[in-house]
Amino acid sequence: MATRRTFLKLASLKLAGAAGLAVPSLASAQGAGRVVVVGGGFGGATAARTLKQLDAKLTVTLVEPNPVYTACPFSNSVLANLREISQQQFRYDAVKAAGVAVAETSATAVDTQARTVTLADGTQLPYDRLVLSPGIDFDWGAIPGYDEAAAQKMPHAWKAGAQTVLLRQQLQDMRDGGLVVMSSPANPFRCPPGPYERAGLIAYWMSIWKPKSKLLLLDSKDTFSKQRLFQDGWAQLYPGTIEWVPLSKGGKVTSVDPATLTLVTEFGSHKADVANVIPPQKAGAIAAKAGVADRTGWCPVEPVAFESTLQRGIHVLGDAAIMGAMPKSAFAANAQAKVCAAAIVELLAGRTPQPPLLINTCYSLLAADYGISIASVYRPDKGLLADIPGAGGVSPLTAVGGLRGQEALYAASWFRTITAETFG
Amino acid sequence: MGRLLLSVLALALLSGGPAQAADAPPGASSCTGCHAPLKVTDSVIPRIAGRKAADIVTFMREYRSGAWPSSVMGRIAKGFDDQQTEAIAAWFAAQPE
Repeated sequence: MATRRTFLKLASLKLAGAAGLAVPSLASAQGAGRVVVVGGGFGGATAARTLKQLDAKLTVTLVEPNPVYTACPFSNSVLANLREISQQQFRYDAVKAAGVAVAETSATAVDTQARTVTLADGTQLPYDRLVLSPGIDFDWGAIPGYDEAAAQKMPHAWKAGAQTVLLRQQLQDMRDGGLVVMSSPANPFRCPPGPYERAGLIAYWMSIWKPKSKLLLLDSKDTFSKQRLFQDGWAQLYPGTIEWVPLSKGGKVTSVDPATLTLVTEFGSHKADVANVIPPQKAGAIAAKAGVADRTGWCPVEPVAFESTLQRGIHVLGDAAIMGAMPKSAFAANAQAKVCAAAIVELLAGRTPQPPLLINTCYSLLAADYGISIASVYRPDKGLLADIPGAGGVSPLTAVGGLRGQEALYAASWFRTITAETFG
Repeated sequence: MGRLLLSVLALALLSGGPAQAADAPPGASSCTGCHAPLKVTDSVIPRIAGRKAADIVTFMREYRSGAWPSSVMGRIAKGFDDQQTEAIAAWFAAQPE
Protein backbone atom coordinates (compact mmCIF):
# COMPACT_ATOMS: atom_id res chain seq x y z
CA MET A 1 0.00 0.00 0.00
CA ALA A 2 2.67 2.41 1.03
CA THR A 3 4.57 1.75 -2.17
CA ARG A 4 1.57 2.41 -4.38
CA ARG A 5 0.66 5.55 -2.48
CA THR A 6 4.23 6.76 -2.65
CA PHE A 7 4.36 6.07 -6.35
CA LEU A 8 1.17 7.98 -7.04
CA LYS A 9 2.29 10.92 -4.95
CA LEU A 10 5.63 10.98 -6.69
CA ALA A 11 3.93 11.01 -10.05
CA SER A 12 2.22 14.25 -9.06
CA LEU A 13 5.35 15.79 -7.56
CA LYS A 14 7.01 18.61 -9.39
CA LEU A 15 10.21 16.75 -10.18
CA ALA A 16 12.53 18.32 -12.69
CA GLY A 17 15.32 16.80 -14.72
CA ALA A 18 15.75 14.00 -17.17
CA ALA A 19 15.23 11.27 -14.57
CA GLY A 20 12.30 13.04 -12.97
CA LEU A 21 9.61 11.27 -14.94
CA ALA A 22 11.12 7.90 -14.16
CA VAL A 23 11.14 8.25 -10.36
CA PRO A 24 10.85 5.60 -9.19
CA SER A 25 10.71 2.97 -11.89
CA LEU A 26 9.28 -0.34 -10.73
CA ALA A 27 12.69 -1.94 -11.14
CA SER A 28 14.47 0.60 -8.97
CA ALA A 29 11.68 0.57 -6.42
CA GLN A 30 12.38 -3.11 -5.88
CA GLY A 31 16.15 -3.15 -6.16
CA ALA A 32 18.98 -1.06 -4.74
CA GLY A 33 19.89 2.22 -6.30
CA ARG A 34 17.73 4.99 -4.94
CA VAL A 35 19.65 7.81 -3.29
CA VAL A 36 17.97 10.87 -1.79
CA VAL A 37 20.17 13.89 -1.10
CA VAL A 38 18.85 16.60 1.23
CA GLY A 39 20.44 20.04 0.87
CA GLY A 40 21.71 21.65 -2.34
CA GLY A 41 24.91 23.33 -1.17
CA PHE A 42 28.53 22.46 -1.90
CA GLY A 43 28.08 19.03 -0.26
CA GLY A 44 24.64 18.01 -1.49
CA ALA A 45 24.75 19.34 -5.05
CA THR A 46 28.20 17.81 -5.56
CA ALA A 47 27.08 14.47 -4.12
CA ALA A 48 23.99 14.33 -6.33
CA ARG A 49 25.89 15.15 -9.52
CA THR A 50 28.78 12.83 -8.73
CA LEU A 51 26.45 9.92 -7.98
CA LYS A 52 24.85 10.23 -11.42
CA GLN A 53 28.27 10.62 -13.04
CA LEU A 54 29.57 7.45 -11.39
CA ASP A 55 26.47 5.35 -12.03
CA ALA A 56 23.90 6.65 -14.49
CA LYS A 57 21.48 3.90 -13.45
CA LEU A 58 21.06 5.31 -9.96
CA THR A 59 17.88 7.21 -9.17
CA VAL A 60 19.09 10.37 -7.46
CA THR A 61 16.75 12.98 -6.00
CA LEU A 62 18.02 16.27 -4.60
CA VAL A 63 15.67 17.90 -2.08
CA GLU A 64 16.27 21.66 -1.91
CA PRO A 65 13.61 24.32 -1.35
CA ASN A 66 15.53 27.27 -2.84
CA PRO A 67 15.70 27.47 -6.64
CA VAL A 68 18.77 29.70 -6.29
CA TYR A 69 21.74 28.89 -4.06
CA THR A 70 23.69 31.80 -2.55
CA ALA A 71 27.28 30.79 -1.82
CA CYS A 72 28.98 31.84 1.42
CA PRO A 73 32.61 31.79 0.21
CA PHE A 74 33.46 35.27 -1.10
CA SER A 75 30.30 36.74 0.47
CA ASN A 76 32.59 38.83 2.71
CA SER A 77 33.76 40.47 -0.52
CA VAL A 78 30.13 41.47 -1.14
CA LEU A 79 30.19 43.31 2.21
CA ALA A 80 33.31 45.16 1.06
CA ASN A 81 31.59 46.05 -2.22
CA LEU A 82 34.13 44.04 -4.20
CA ARG A 83 31.39 41.80 -5.60
CA GLU A 84 27.65 41.81 -6.16
CA ILE A 85 25.43 39.26 -4.40
CA SER A 86 24.33 38.02 -7.85
CA GLN A 87 27.89 36.75 -8.39
CA GLN A 88 27.33 34.45 -5.42
CA GLN A 89 24.19 32.89 -6.87
CA PHE A 90 23.84 29.60 -8.70
CA ARG A 91 20.93 27.58 -10.08
CA TYR A 92 20.46 23.83 -10.40
CA ASP A 93 20.18 23.59 -14.21
CA ALA A 94 23.40 21.59 -14.60
CA VAL A 95 22.45 19.33 -11.70
CA LYS A 96 19.12 18.60 -13.42
CA ALA A 97 20.87 18.14 -16.77
CA ALA A 98 23.05 15.49 -15.13
CA GLY A 99 19.91 13.43 -14.57
CA VAL A 100 19.27 14.37 -10.96
CA ALA A 101 15.60 14.87 -10.04
CA VAL A 102 15.35 18.11 -8.08
CA ALA A 103 12.43 18.30 -5.63
CA GLU A 104 12.02 22.00 -4.92
CA THR A 105 10.72 21.62 -1.39
CA SER A 106 11.83 20.86 2.17
CA ALA A 107 12.40 17.52 3.83
CA THR A 108 10.39 17.47 7.07
CA ALA A 109 11.00 13.98 8.46
CA VAL A 110 12.97 10.78 7.97
CA ASP A 111 11.64 7.30 8.76
CA THR A 112 14.82 5.33 9.35
CA GLN A 113 12.94 2.01 9.61
CA ALA A 114 10.91 2.34 6.40
CA ARG A 115 13.79 4.28 4.80
CA THR A 116 11.69 7.14 3.53
CA VAL A 117 12.06 10.91 3.53
CA THR A 118 8.89 12.93 4.05
CA LEU A 119 8.62 16.17 2.08
CA ALA A 120 6.73 19.32 3.08
CA ASP A 121 3.67 18.29 1.04
CA GLY A 122 3.51 14.87 2.69
CA THR A 123 5.12 12.96 -0.18
CA GLN A 124 7.35 10.12 0.93
CA LEU A 125 10.54 9.42 -1.01
CA PRO A 126 11.96 5.92 -0.51
CA TYR A 127 15.74 5.56 -0.34
CA ASP A 128 18.37 2.88 -0.22
CA ARG A 129 20.92 5.46 0.90
CA LEU A 130 20.17 8.92 2.25
CA VAL A 131 22.67 11.78 2.12
CA LEU A 132 22.05 14.69 4.47
CA SER A 133 23.97 17.86 3.69
CA PRO A 134 21.78 20.40 5.48
CA GLY A 135 24.46 22.91 6.46
CA ILE A 136 23.93 24.86 9.65
CA ASP A 137 21.08 26.23 11.69
CA PHE A 138 21.54 28.93 14.28
CA ASP A 139 21.26 28.13 17.96
CA TRP A 140 18.73 30.91 18.59
CA GLY A 141 18.60 31.76 22.28
CA ALA A 142 22.22 30.77 22.93
CA ILE A 143 22.89 34.50 23.26
CA PRO A 144 19.99 36.01 25.27
CA GLY A 145 18.31 38.69 23.17
CA TYR A 146 19.52 37.30 19.84
CA ASP A 147 16.66 35.71 17.91
CA GLU A 148 15.42 35.83 14.32
CA ALA A 149 13.85 39.25 14.86
CA ALA A 150 17.09 40.58 16.37
CA ALA A 151 18.95 39.37 13.26
CA GLN A 152 17.07 42.02 11.28
CA LYS A 153 18.73 44.70 13.45
CA MET A 154 22.04 42.94 14.10
CA PRO A 155 22.58 40.74 11.02
CA HIS A 156 24.54 37.50 11.28
CA ALA A 157 25.17 37.37 7.51
CA TRP A 158 26.41 33.82 8.17
CA LYS A 159 24.05 32.35 5.60
CA ALA A 160 24.70 34.39 2.49
CA GLY A 161 21.83 36.21 0.81
CA ALA A 162 19.43 38.80 2.20
CA GLN A 163 21.45 38.99 5.43
CA THR A 164 24.62 39.81 3.49
CA VAL A 165 22.86 42.59 1.61
CA LEU A 166 21.35 43.92 4.86
CA LEU A 167 24.72 44.10 6.62
CA ARG A 168 26.31 45.81 3.60
CA GLN A 169 23.51 48.40 3.56
CA GLN A 170 24.00 49.08 7.28
CA LEU A 171 27.74 49.59 6.72
CA GLN A 172 27.08 51.96 3.83
CA ASP A 173 24.56 53.93 5.92
CA MET A 174 26.94 54.22 8.89
CA ARG A 175 28.41 57.62 9.77
CA ASP A 176 32.14 58.03 9.24
CA GLY A 177 33.71 57.59 12.66
CA GLY A 178 31.22 54.85 13.56
CA LEU A 179 31.96 51.67 15.47
CA VAL A 180 31.33 48.25 13.92
CA VAL A 181 31.07 45.51 16.55
CA MET A 182 31.34 41.86 15.50
CA SER A 183 30.97 38.80 17.67
CA SER A 184 32.49 35.42 16.85
CA PRO A 185 31.34 32.13 18.42
CA ALA A 186 33.23 29.33 20.15
CA ASN A 187 34.31 26.31 18.08
CA PRO A 188 32.98 24.52 16.15
CA PHE A 189 31.24 26.74 13.61
CA ARG A 190 30.97 27.26 9.85
CA CYS A 191 34.10 28.64 8.20
CA PRO A 192 36.67 29.06 11.03
CA PRO A 193 38.64 31.89 9.32
CA GLY A 194 35.45 33.62 8.15
CA PRO A 195 34.93 36.16 10.97
CA TYR A 196 38.55 37.32 10.65
CA GLU A 197 38.38 37.61 6.87
CA ARG A 198 35.20 39.64 7.37
CA ALA A 199 36.86 41.96 9.91
CA GLY A 200 39.74 42.58 7.51
CA LEU A 201 37.54 43.20 4.48
CA ILE A 202 35.25 45.57 6.40
CA ALA A 203 38.41 47.42 7.51
CA TYR A 204 39.54 47.46 3.86
CA TRP A 205 36.23 49.00 2.80
CA MET A 206 36.24 51.47 5.72
CA SER A 207 39.80 52.56 4.84
CA ILE A 208 38.38 53.84 1.54
CA TRP A 209 34.87 55.05 2.45
CA LYS A 210 34.72 55.58 6.25
CA PRO A 211 38.35 56.13 7.26
CA LYS A 212 37.59 57.43 10.78
CA SER A 213 35.64 54.26 11.69
CA LYS A 214 36.78 51.38 13.92
CA LEU A 215 35.96 47.70 14.25
CA LEU A 216 35.71 45.78 17.53
CA LEU A 217 35.78 41.98 17.25
CA LEU A 218 34.45 40.27 20.39
CA ASP A 219 35.53 36.62 20.42
CA SER A 220 34.44 33.59 22.44
CA LYS A 221 37.87 32.05 21.73
CA ASP A 222 41.47 32.79 22.68
CA THR A 223 42.94 31.57 19.40
CA PHE A 224 41.68 31.40 15.84
CA SER A 225 42.51 30.09 12.36
CA LYS A 226 45.49 31.73 10.56
CA GLN A 227 45.75 34.04 13.59
CA ARG A 228 49.30 35.40 13.12
CA LEU A 229 48.70 36.00 9.42
CA PHE A 230 45.47 37.89 10.08
CA GLN A 231 46.87 39.95 12.95
CA ASP A 232 50.09 40.81 11.09
CA GLY A 233 48.07 41.76 8.01
CA TRP A 234 45.61 43.92 9.94
CA ALA A 235 48.45 45.77 11.67
CA GLN A 236 50.23 46.35 8.37
CA LEU A 237 47.20 47.26 6.24
CA TYR A 238 44.84 48.95 8.73
CA PRO A 239 46.88 50.08 11.76
CA GLY A 240 44.70 50.91 14.76
CA THR A 241 41.42 50.01 13.01
CA ILE A 242 40.67 46.49 14.28
CA GLU A 243 40.61 45.61 17.98
CA TRP A 244 40.30 41.89 18.72
CA VAL A 245 39.07 40.97 22.21
CA PRO A 246 39.74 37.30 23.09
CA LEU A 247 37.71 35.19 25.54
CA SER A 248 40.27 35.69 28.34
CA LYS A 249 39.94 39.48 28.03
CA GLY A 250 36.15 39.42 28.18
CA GLY A 251 35.37 38.80 24.52
CA LYS A 252 32.47 36.43 25.07
CA VAL A 253 29.12 38.10 24.32
CA THR A 254 26.63 37.11 27.03
CA SER A 255 23.58 39.03 25.77
CA VAL A 256 22.54 41.60 23.19
CA ASP A 257 19.95 44.36 23.01
CA PRO A 258 18.85 44.83 19.40
CA ALA A 259 16.86 48.01 20.23
CA THR A 260 20.04 49.87 21.21
CA LEU A 261 22.57 47.78 19.19
CA THR A 262 24.33 46.89 22.43
CA LEU A 263 26.50 43.80 22.93
CA VAL A 264 27.09 42.82 26.57
CA THR A 265 30.15 40.84 27.69
CA GLU A 266 31.27 39.65 31.12
CA PHE A 267 33.51 42.73 31.30
CA GLY A 268 31.21 45.47 30.04
CA SER A 269 28.95 46.52 27.22
CA HIS A 270 29.57 47.94 23.77
CA LYS A 271 27.19 50.13 21.82
CA ALA A 272 27.58 49.65 18.08
CA ASP A 273 26.74 51.76 15.06
CA VAL A 274 26.64 48.50 13.11
CA ALA A 275 26.47 45.14 14.89
CA ASN A 276 27.27 41.79 13.27
CA VAL A 277 26.47 38.88 15.60
CA ILE A 278 27.69 35.49 14.38
CA PRO A 279 25.78 33.19 16.73
CA PRO A 280 26.58 29.63 17.87
CA GLN A 281 25.44 27.00 15.38
CA LYS A 282 24.32 23.40 15.01
CA ALA A 283 23.54 20.97 12.18
CA GLY A 284 20.57 21.89 9.98
CA ALA A 285 17.22 20.88 11.51
CA ILE A 286 16.62 17.73 9.44
CA ALA A 287 19.70 16.14 11.08
CA ALA A 288 18.08 16.14 14.52
CA LYS A 289 14.76 14.97 13.04
CA ALA A 290 16.55 12.03 11.38
CA GLY A 291 18.25 11.14 14.65
CA VAL A 292 21.78 11.65 13.31
CA ALA A 293 22.72 14.65 15.50
CA ASP A 294 24.17 14.01 18.95
CA ARG A 295 24.00 16.15 22.10
CA THR A 296 26.47 18.63 20.63
CA GLY A 297 23.98 19.41 17.86
CA TRP A 298 26.37 18.03 15.21
CA CYS A 299 26.47 14.64 13.47
CA PRO A 300 29.04 11.93 14.23
CA VAL A 301 30.06 9.90 11.14
CA GLU A 302 32.59 7.19 10.31
CA PRO A 303 35.53 8.48 8.23
CA VAL A 304 35.31 6.37 5.04
CA ALA A 305 31.78 6.82 3.62
CA PHE A 306 30.64 9.42 6.21
CA GLU A 307 27.80 7.16 7.30
CA SER A 308 26.16 8.23 10.54
CA THR A 309 27.32 6.31 13.61
CA LEU A 310 23.78 6.76 14.99
CA GLN A 311 21.65 5.63 12.01
CA ARG A 312 22.60 3.09 9.35
CA GLY A 313 22.01 4.05 5.73
CA ILE A 314 22.27 7.82 6.35
CA HIS A 315 25.40 9.71 5.30
CA VAL A 316 26.10 13.24 6.56
CA LEU A 317 28.30 15.73 4.72
CA GLY A 318 29.79 19.15 5.18
CA ASP A 319 29.19 21.65 7.97
CA ALA A 320 26.57 19.46 9.72
CA ALA A 321 28.97 16.55 10.30
CA ILE A 322 31.71 15.98 12.87
CA MET A 323 34.64 15.38 10.53
CA GLY A 324 37.47 15.23 13.05
CA ALA A 325 40.29 17.54 12.01
CA MET A 326 38.56 18.64 8.79
CA PRO A 327 37.00 22.10 9.16
CA LYS A 328 33.53 23.23 8.14
CA SER A 329 34.29 24.70 4.70
CA ALA A 330 32.87 24.63 1.18
CA PHE A 331 36.03 22.95 -0.11
CA ALA A 332 35.72 20.26 2.57
CA ALA A 333 32.02 19.64 1.83
CA ASN A 334 32.75 19.31 -1.90
CA ALA A 335 35.67 16.92 -1.26
CA GLN A 336 33.64 14.85 1.21
CA ALA A 337 30.73 14.68 -1.25
CA LYS A 338 32.90 13.15 -3.98
CA VAL A 339 34.33 10.57 -1.57
CA CYS A 340 30.85 9.81 -0.20
CA ALA A 341 29.33 9.41 -3.68
CA ALA A 342 32.04 6.93 -4.72
CA ALA A 343 31.61 5.04 -1.43
CA ILE A 344 27.83 4.83 -1.87
CA VAL A 345 28.28 3.37 -5.35
CA GLU A 346 30.56 0.72 -3.81
CA LEU A 347 28.18 0.01 -0.92
CA LEU A 348 25.16 -0.33 -3.21
CA ALA A 349 27.15 -2.82 -5.28
CA GLY A 350 27.93 -4.82 -2.16
CA ARG A 351 31.59 -3.84 -2.10
CA THR A 352 33.64 -2.21 0.68
CA PRO A 353 34.84 1.33 -0.04
CA GLN A 354 38.56 1.92 0.31
CA PRO A 355 39.83 4.37 2.95
CA PRO A 356 40.00 7.84 1.39
CA LEU A 357 42.46 10.69 1.48
CA LEU A 358 40.98 14.18 1.47
CA ILE A 359 42.33 17.68 1.01
CA ASN A 360 41.04 20.98 2.34
CA THR A 361 42.22 24.35 1.11
CA CYS A 362 40.82 27.65 2.38
CA TYR A 363 41.79 31.07 1.14
CA SER A 364 41.00 34.26 3.02
CA LEU A 365 41.29 37.83 1.78
CA LEU A 366 42.50 40.78 3.86
CA ALA A 367 42.18 43.17 0.92
CA ALA A 368 41.25 42.86 -2.75
CA ASP A 369 44.83 41.92 -3.60
CA TYR A 370 45.96 40.32 -0.34
CA GLY A 371 45.23 36.61 0.18
CA ILE A 372 46.35 33.99 2.70
CA SER A 373 45.66 30.27 2.82
CA ILE A 374 45.50 27.16 4.95
CA ALA A 375 45.68 23.63 3.55
CA SER A 376 45.70 20.13 5.02
CA VAL A 377 45.52 16.49 3.96
CA TYR A 378 43.40 14.02 5.94
CA ARG A 379 43.05 10.27 6.38
CA PRO A 380 40.87 8.07 8.59
CA ASP A 381 42.50 7.41 11.94
CA LYS A 382 40.83 5.93 15.02
CA GLY A 383 37.36 6.51 13.66
CA LEU A 384 37.88 10.15 12.67
CA LEU A 385 39.50 12.12 9.88
CA ALA A 386 42.93 13.16 11.12
CA ASP A 387 45.64 15.47 9.75
CA ILE A 388 48.47 13.65 8.02
CA PRO A 389 51.53 14.58 10.08
CA GLY A 390 54.09 16.72 8.28
CA ALA A 391 51.63 17.95 5.67
CA GLY A 392 49.47 21.06 5.60
CA GLY A 393 49.89 24.46 7.19
CA VAL A 394 49.34 28.13 6.51
CA SER A 395 50.95 30.69 4.21
CA PRO A 396 54.44 31.80 5.30
CA LEU A 397 54.46 34.75 7.72
CA THR A 398 56.96 36.51 5.49
CA ALA A 399 55.68 36.76 1.94
CA VAL A 400 58.18 36.97 -0.88
CA GLY A 401 57.67 37.40 -4.61
CA GLY A 402 54.18 38.86 -4.41
CA LEU A 403 52.75 35.78 -2.70
CA ARG A 404 49.83 37.63 -1.05
CA GLY A 405 48.66 38.98 -4.39
CA GLN A 406 49.17 35.58 -5.98
CA GLU A 407 47.06 33.88 -3.31
CA ALA A 408 44.28 36.44 -3.85
CA LEU A 409 44.30 35.41 -7.52
CA TYR A 410 44.29 31.71 -6.61
CA ALA A 411 41.34 32.36 -4.28
CA ALA A 412 39.29 33.89 -7.09
CA SER A 413 40.20 31.02 -9.43
CA TRP A 414 39.31 28.48 -6.76
CA PHE A 415 35.83 30.01 -6.38
CA ARG A 416 35.19 29.81 -10.11
CA THR A 417 36.37 26.20 -10.21
CA ILE A 418 34.50 24.87 -7.20
CA THR A 419 31.24 26.55 -8.12
CA ALA A 420 31.56 25.20 -11.68
CA GLU A 421 32.23 21.73 -10.32
CA THR A 422 29.29 21.93 -7.90
CA PHE A 423 26.66 23.80 -9.93
CA GLY A 424 27.98 23.61 -13.51
CA MET B 1 57.61 5.05 -16.35
CA GLY B 2 57.41 1.28 -15.79
CA ARG B 3 55.92 1.73 -12.37
CA LEU B 4 53.45 4.28 -13.66
CA LEU B 5 52.32 1.98 -16.41
CA LEU B 6 51.87 -0.75 -13.83
CA SER B 7 49.73 1.58 -11.72
CA VAL B 8 47.51 2.31 -14.70
CA LEU B 9 47.25 -1.37 -15.51
CA ALA B 10 46.52 -2.20 -11.88
CA LEU B 11 43.72 0.35 -11.84
CA ALA B 12 42.28 -1.01 -15.07
CA LEU B 13 42.43 -4.56 -13.74
CA LEU B 14 40.83 -3.63 -10.43
CA SER B 15 37.92 -1.93 -12.12
CA GLY B 16 37.64 -4.40 -14.97
CA GLY B 17 37.41 -1.54 -17.45
CA PRO B 18 38.78 1.79 -18.52
CA ALA B 19 39.52 4.44 -15.93
CA GLN B 20 36.34 6.00 -14.58
CA ALA B 21 35.74 8.41 -11.76
CA ALA B 22 34.78 5.47 -9.53
CA ASP B 23 38.30 4.09 -9.90
CA ALA B 24 39.94 7.29 -8.72
CA PRO B 25 42.74 6.50 -6.26
CA PRO B 26 42.56 7.96 -2.74
CA GLY B 27 42.99 11.72 -2.76
CA ALA B 28 42.34 12.26 -6.48
CA SER B 29 38.77 13.47 -6.11
CA SER B 30 39.85 16.34 -3.84
CA CYS B 31 42.21 17.77 -6.49
CA THR B 32 39.36 18.87 -8.75
CA GLY B 33 38.16 21.35 -6.12
CA CYS B 34 40.90 23.61 -7.53
CA HIS B 35 42.09 21.86 -10.70
CA ALA B 36 38.97 22.08 -12.82
CA PRO B 37 37.87 18.83 -14.45
CA LEU B 38 36.27 20.89 -17.21
CA LYS B 39 37.48 24.08 -18.78
CA VAL B 40 36.79 26.97 -16.43
CA THR B 41 37.24 30.41 -17.84
CA ASP B 42 39.60 32.84 -16.22
CA SER B 43 41.44 30.53 -13.81
CA VAL B 44 45.13 30.87 -12.99
CA ILE B 45 45.18 27.35 -11.53
CA PRO B 46 46.41 24.90 -14.20
CA ARG B 47 44.31 21.96 -15.32
CA ILE B 48 45.95 18.58 -14.70
CA ALA B 49 43.54 16.25 -16.51
CA GLY B 50 45.32 14.68 -19.50
CA ARG B 51 48.78 15.91 -18.46
CA LYS B 52 51.65 13.43 -18.64
CA ALA B 53 51.79 11.36 -15.46
CA ALA B 54 55.57 11.75 -15.21
CA ASP B 55 55.20 15.54 -15.27
CA ILE B 56 52.60 15.53 -12.50
CA VAL B 57 54.87 13.29 -10.41
CA THR B 58 57.80 15.65 -10.99
CA PHE B 59 55.79 18.69 -9.93
CA MET B 60 54.53 16.93 -6.79
CA ARG B 61 58.04 15.73 -5.87
CA GLU B 62 59.62 19.15 -6.34
CA TYR B 63 56.82 20.89 -4.44
CA ARG B 64 57.11 18.36 -1.64
CA SER B 65 60.86 18.90 -1.24
CA GLY B 66 60.42 22.66 -1.47
CA ALA B 67 62.83 22.81 -4.43
CA TRP B 68 60.15 24.55 -6.46
CA PRO B 69 58.29 27.45 -4.86
CA SER B 70 54.52 27.13 -4.44
CA SER B 71 51.68 28.44 -2.33
CA VAL B 72 49.48 25.57 -1.15
CA MET B 73 50.95 22.75 -3.28
CA GLY B 74 54.05 22.25 -1.14
CA ARG B 75 51.87 21.82 1.92
CA ILE B 76 49.50 19.44 0.10
CA ALA B 77 52.19 17.36 -1.65
CA LYS B 78 53.68 16.46 1.73
CA GLY B 79 50.48 14.53 2.49
CA PHE B 80 51.09 11.96 -0.27
CA ASP B 81 53.83 9.33 -0.51
CA ASP B 82 55.45 8.28 -3.80
CA GLN B 83 53.03 5.45 -4.45
CA GLN B 84 49.94 7.57 -3.76
CA THR B 85 51.30 10.40 -5.89
CA GLU B 86 52.00 8.05 -8.80
CA ALA B 87 48.51 6.56 -8.63
CA ILE B 88 46.91 10.01 -8.67
CA ALA B 89 49.18 11.17 -11.52
CA ALA B 90 48.37 8.08 -13.58
CA TRP B 91 44.67 8.60 -13.03
CA PHE B 92 44.70 12.26 -14.07
CA ALA B 93 46.86 11.40 -17.09
CA ALA B 94 44.14 8.98 -18.20
CA GLN B 95 41.39 11.62 -17.97
CA PRO B 96 40.30 13.53 -21.08
CA GLU B 97 42.25 16.77 -21.48
